[in-house]
Amino acid sequence: MSSQVSALEIVTHPQVTESSLTKSQLRRIYTMRQLRWSNNKAITVFVLPSQHVLHQRFAKERLQIFPYQLNRIWHKLTYSGLGVAPIIVKSEQELIQAVLETPGAIGYLSDEMLIRQREAYIDKESPDMEEMQKVSSKGVVNVVKIKD
Amino acid sequence: MLSKLKTNAAAEISSRVNNLYCSRGLLSRTVLFALLLASSCGIVAQAEEGKSYSNSQDFQLHGFISQGIIDVDGSDFVNDSGDLSTELTELGINASYQLTSKFRLAAQIVYLDGGNRYAEGARVDYALIDWSAFTNEQWQANIYIGRFKNNHWLYSSSRDIPFARPSIILPQSVYFDGFRDIAVGSDGIASKISYSTDDYGNFDWQISYGSSPISDEQVKNVLSEYARGSSEQDYDAQTSFYWQPAFSSWRFGLSLLDADFTYDSAGQDNGDFFSDSDFSFQFYTLNAIYEGEKWEFSGEIYQQRFTIDGFYYPGFELDNIGQGYYLQSRYKVTDKMTLLARYEDFYIDKDDKDGKTLEQNTGGLVPYYFGFHKDVTLGINYDFTSNFAVRAEYHWVNGAGRLTPVVAPNPAINDSEDWEMWAIQLMYWF
Repeated sequence: MSSQVSALEIVTHPQVTESSLTKSQLRRIYTMRQLRWSNNKAITVFVLPSQHVLHQRFAKERLQIFPYQLNRIWHKLTYSGLGVAPIIVKSEQELIQAVLETPGAIGYLSDEMLIRQREAYIDKESPDMEEMQKVSSKGVVNVVKIKD
Repeated sequence: MLSKLKTNAAAEISSRVNNLYCSRGLLSRTVLFALLLASSCGIVAQAEEGKSYSNSQDFQLHGFISQGIIDVDGSDFVNDSGDLSTELTELGINASYQLTSKFRLAAQIVYLDGGNRYAEGARVDYALIDWSAFTNEQWQANIYIGRFKNNHWLYSSSRDIPFARPSIILPQSVYFDGFRDIAVGSDGIASKISYSTDDYGNFDWQISYGSSPISDEQVKNVLSEYARGSSEQDYDAQTSFYWQPAFSSWRFGLSLLDADFTYDSAGQDNGDFFSDSDFSFQFYTLNAIYEGEKWEFSGEIYQQRFTIDGFYYPGFELDNIGQGYYLQSRYKVTDKMTLLARYEDFYIDKDDKDGKTLEQNTGGLVPYYFGFHKDVTLGINYDFTSNFAVRAEYHWVNGAGRLTPVVAPNPAINDSEDWEMWAIQLMYWF
């Protein structure tokens, strides 16, 4: 590990009203034990593949669950008909897009990706004020604070 | 591209589903048909949107493909010849469709080929309506109607899912392949209630009530190859309770099962040596699992009671209490490589652990070693990617207590007390 390990952020679709979550709420959401936001809207959970470095860090640091334990919980739901597991996307770019496009979505990103996405959004030229709002309602993900 | 691949896989698997002997239930068939239709529409729609990920919260399609080789020396567990076998094929495809915020449809079809272990062919693994009766931040209550899977034991719901279970061959005293089609699930109603608190952890309580259709092949597998009659499961009632303390690596569970079966003899005129019979089966388990970063330990301890009223001749009675346990440990050498070691010990009759009474009572027809089953297993699993893995394992088995047929065993083929097997399996899932 040559470079400094960057921070990791929990992000949601812009319309999700929660600005913070407790650690146990985050755990419940990712182990599919809490399926709805406080306004009763369905939560859609996005993750990276289980061997992705960011996923492994997210599981261990934020959820304090080993990635293999998450796999087990999700496999049981998916292949026994009991419920629905998180949706796996291949890369952080795909994850940010998925979270932006899906109302009620939650995911996680590295700080670098978050900064890059915001810069790209600011650079966008949008002279029309109305047009600007349209994009902004869709263009930037929410960052959720995680409390202990 | 991936979507297209999935469509092809779906088409191929569904074309193989020509002997859905399990799909007697009209409900199951209707649900399945609706799902297959919905899945093809869903795939097309998503492909058009050009999304790189093909699943959504409302519609999900998943499956698995696995193939292995298995070699058994000294028993008919897989085949009668004792030759190396490729009868280790497991395929599955499932879909989940959220109808409304409260109702969801889900179904899975699996194709299994395990030689003598169970009937070869495709079956509807589950096909159900999931009603989310109540949900909030801490509680979830669901009712499942249709064909549901047995979720009560440690590995019962993942026994057919190659990458989700701990080994290629599971501990046979609990996950007996001869009983697979009866034990794997039921047609009926089930419910699951989950509660999570920060102080006390996670609680899961499940109840199920239903029955499984029993094919003629299963009658021969479980009872005797000479049984000409038909068998029916009257009911199967199960409940289980799991508790994981808050932020703990441990989870504890217990389960109870009560099931009744009947056998209708084809009659002596039709060459059936056996009489009408009632069977009852009760099964209680306690289990615990520890999931650490490198080490994992799990075990189940169980007692079963099996009674026969009839079968050999009208008025015959048998009442056996069997006991057993297994202890399993897994060690994660790296993120990709896991080692497995397990010991399993099971007696069909707790008062006849060496099987001598069994041999005496049958006048020597059934040797003593049919009274128990012990298995030492060593294995290795390697994950190439997040959804492609290979697994290999070796079993040293002592006893023939978990070979088919069960009620009237076959000592002619299974003529040795000790037998061994090894297997290698490649697994891919999406």
